[in-house]
Amino acid sequence: MHISLLTALALLVLTAIGFYIGRQRAYGAGRGRAASLHSLPNYYGYYIALWVGAPAFLLLAVYGVIGAGLVNMLVLKDLERAGAPLVAQYEAQLDQDQLYQDLQEQLVQSTAELEAVEREISYIRRENTVQAERYEDLRARLPEVSSQRISLINQIDAREEEIYLGVFQGAPVEGDGFTARAGFEFSHLPPERRQLYISNMRAYAFDEALASRDTPELRAAGALFRPYHQILRYSVAGLALALALAGLVFSRGKIAKRFRARNHVEKALSLLLFATSVIAVLTTLGIVCSLIFESLRFFGAIDWRLHEFLLGLHWSPQVGIRSDQIGQSGAFGAVPLFAGTALITVIAMAVAVPIGLMSAIYLSEYASPLMRSWAKPILEVLAGIPTVVYGFFALLTVGPFLRDVALMLGYENAATQSALSAGLVMGVMIIPFVSSLSDDVINAVPQTLRDGSYAMGATKSETVRAVVLPAALPGIVGAILLAVSRAVGETMIVVMAAGQGANLTINPLESVTTITVQIVALLTGDQEFDSAKTLSAFALGLVLFMLTLLLNIIALRVVQRYREKYD
Amino acid sequence: MRSQFICVDALNGDGKLVDDYTPTAKSGATYHPLTGNLPIKVATTGVDVFYADKQALFDVSLDIPDRSVTAFIGPSGCGKSTFLRCMNRMNDTIDTAKVTGSVRIDGEEVNDRSVDPVVLRARVGMVFQKPNPFPKSIYDNVAYGPRIHGLAENKEEHDAIVETALRKAGLWEEVADRLDLPGTALSGGQQQRLVIARAIAVNPEVILMDEPCSALDPIATARIEELIDELRENYCIIMVTHSMAQAARVSQSTAFFHLGRLVEYGPTEEIFTNPKDTRTQDYITGRFG
Repeated sequence: MHISLLTALALLVLTAIGFYIGRQRAYGAGRGRAASLHSLPNYYGYYIALWVGAPAFLLLAVYGVIGAGLVNMLVLKDLERAGAPLVAQYEAQLDQDQLYQDLQEQLVQSTAELEAVEREISYIRRENTVQAERYEDLRARLPEVSSQRISLINQIDAREEEIYLGVFQGAPVEGDGFTARAGFEFSHLPPERRQLYISNMRAYAFDEALASRDTPELRAAGALFRPYHQILRYSVAGLALALALAGLVFSRGKIAKRFRARNHVEKALSLLLFATSVIAVLTTLGIVCSLIFESLRFFGAIDWRLHEFLLGLHWSPQVGIRSDQIGQSGAFGAVPLFAGTALITVIAMAVAVPIGLMSAIYLSEYASPLMRSWAKPILEVLAGIPTVVYGFFALLTVGPFLRDVALMLGYENAATQSALSAGLVMGVMIIPFVSSLSDDVINAVPQTLRDGSYAMGATKSETVRAVVLPAALPGIVGAILLAVSRAVGETMIVVMAAGQGANLTINPLESVTTITVQIVALLTGDQEFDSAKTLSAFALGLVLFMLTLLLNIIALRVVQRYREKYD
Repeated sequence: MRSQFICVDALNGDGKLVDDYTPTAKSGATYHPLTGNLPIKVATTGVDVFYADKQALFDVSLDIPDRSVTAFIGPSGCGKSTFLRCMNRMNDTIDTAKVTGSVRIDGEEVNDRSVDPVVLRARVGMVFQKPNPFPKSIYDNVAYGPRIHGLAENKEEHDAIVETALRKAGLWEEVADRLDLPGTALSGGQQQRLVIARAIAVNPEVILMDEPCSALDPIATARIEELIDELRENYCIIMVTHSMAQAARVSQSTAFFHLGRLVEYGPTEEIFTNPKDTRTQDYITGRFG
């Protein structure tokens, strides 16, 4: 059986034994009378069980998290050492190779030339000096210079590869030779492919079926893992058991009549609760940080023209494939996305707020208990429908229907994917959100207020309009704000039903695009994670996050103030 | 229970006499036997109230005089609030509540189908245990009733009604310069007087008060009691109270309820000094309840 599993089982048994011992000793210390002890006997059991189990399981958990990384690190060290002679040989050959050195020199010159041209172009642009002829000339030269440089880079790569292959093929192919070759191979890999190599090595160490390539080098390197892995595994298991036993001995010695086991257990519990909340907070913090850092990279990529991002009217994030292409830096004006998001949100709220609010009023004020017990769950079923289902409902049913109606009414440019269909369906999705939150706040309005109004001779609707709604208003506003933040962040419906074109329009029959849709579009498929195009998704995410955070804070504040008033 | 006391059973509506109390159920012109010179405002006969299957009030009959304060006392759950709520049909707002028997105001049957509870409640105002000003300004709180009943034509008339009501409730001096403040911003005692002003703004004939001082401190309580005493001049006031001292201080007649039944009803002085039923005696001397 797996050794870690065995260890865990042994620890569980030890913990149980610890609990039993603690209880028995407590009875012993109290001479059989539980009442003479400071705490209930079970607490002494928990106390010992905690000392036995907690440190050991913690060790196992830490091993689980960093164990693999530790082994990888050790193996890579070994691999590097094994491959070092070959690497040295390769580097020596590069140094001696005349062709390679010449190419490097040419590259330096070519780079300098390119930079000079670019500098001059940007100088002329910036200063607006009238040197049209010179400018055109430079523009014409630029492609030539840059392609020359790229061809140089390619030649250098090819020469490097040649020499590398020469060294690799010349290396001995027996015994430790394979390990050395693996180390050499690994050192020559570009960084992004190293992870795959490591995965393959690990596959040969643990489970061949996972390997994507089969070479003697990989097999040799894989063999490096096993000893480290075994040593670490057994030592951790041993250490965990030793810790458990030490905990048992230590805590057993503390059991006495006046020992405050209950307080210690309480402390351990509060520590556990603290740890879990720390995890939650840290996770959130981590997400926010990653958003912020990636956004900063994006802002760096667009040269900190923040105003262009936040106020620009043109969104087309396509960036040139080659990094030295001119005029291909993309346009990152996010206003069309903000406008699209706002348009769809407004439509959705126009559907959800009246219907949700009125159904909440009906359910809480008018409906008979029987009606309520039927209608409320049915309404809440709406909240349980996956958004993707709403999405194809919008795309296949509502969209075509709206288009046909628009065509019938003489509007020619109607599209299936429109802000209206996405907004309508999103509104339906949000109805239960608005209605159930509003229902809660309306129910929280004290009955005495209603009684007061009825006693004045007001009818039900007068009471609702003049007393209940004003009293519940802050809560309802909070509910609506939460619904707005939900609508702003909703993705699936708009991805399917709103379209992709970043049109800046308020015509609900046109297709628009939203922040969330663009984030999806930017990040799906194969993407390089260092281009401005991809990074802009994070900046959009940051904006979206800020927006919903703000809405939620305001909503919670409003709701809180409302609660204070009537509690 | 059928007894020699001034008692409900005498009022069963069949006109049977018991001792010195004459139950009347014929017309509003009759004078009340307990007070002599005051006409009967509210006459009830054989009132039963059920909440779902549980009977909360058993066969209560009594007559309440106009222009005086009538107090209902009794331990919690004895049905006194339930009885109070029969008089403006507030029990209608509870789905499971069912009221039988007869409640007449000035001889007019309240429980009659033809009576619109909305109109009835304009005639019978109500003040609750906890001050319940609406989430509106002081002015709008008082103007609430006149607005929904269309009592005023224009702003001036509204202003006049609001001022009169606030003056009658003894609150005008304190709030005249801040009528725009939310009603909830006032102190508890002021809120309760605001609620009374709200009730009298529609010119009711009867004012029901359900433990109007139980949420107030002694000073505010004294103020409200003073006010009740002043209002007695013009209104028929019926109040439920847990404080026997309060009943003794402000009311002219007192009814003692126990376990959903009316046990004893008579002039306040007599109830407190010379109760005829032992249960009443036990209650007012603090032996139970």
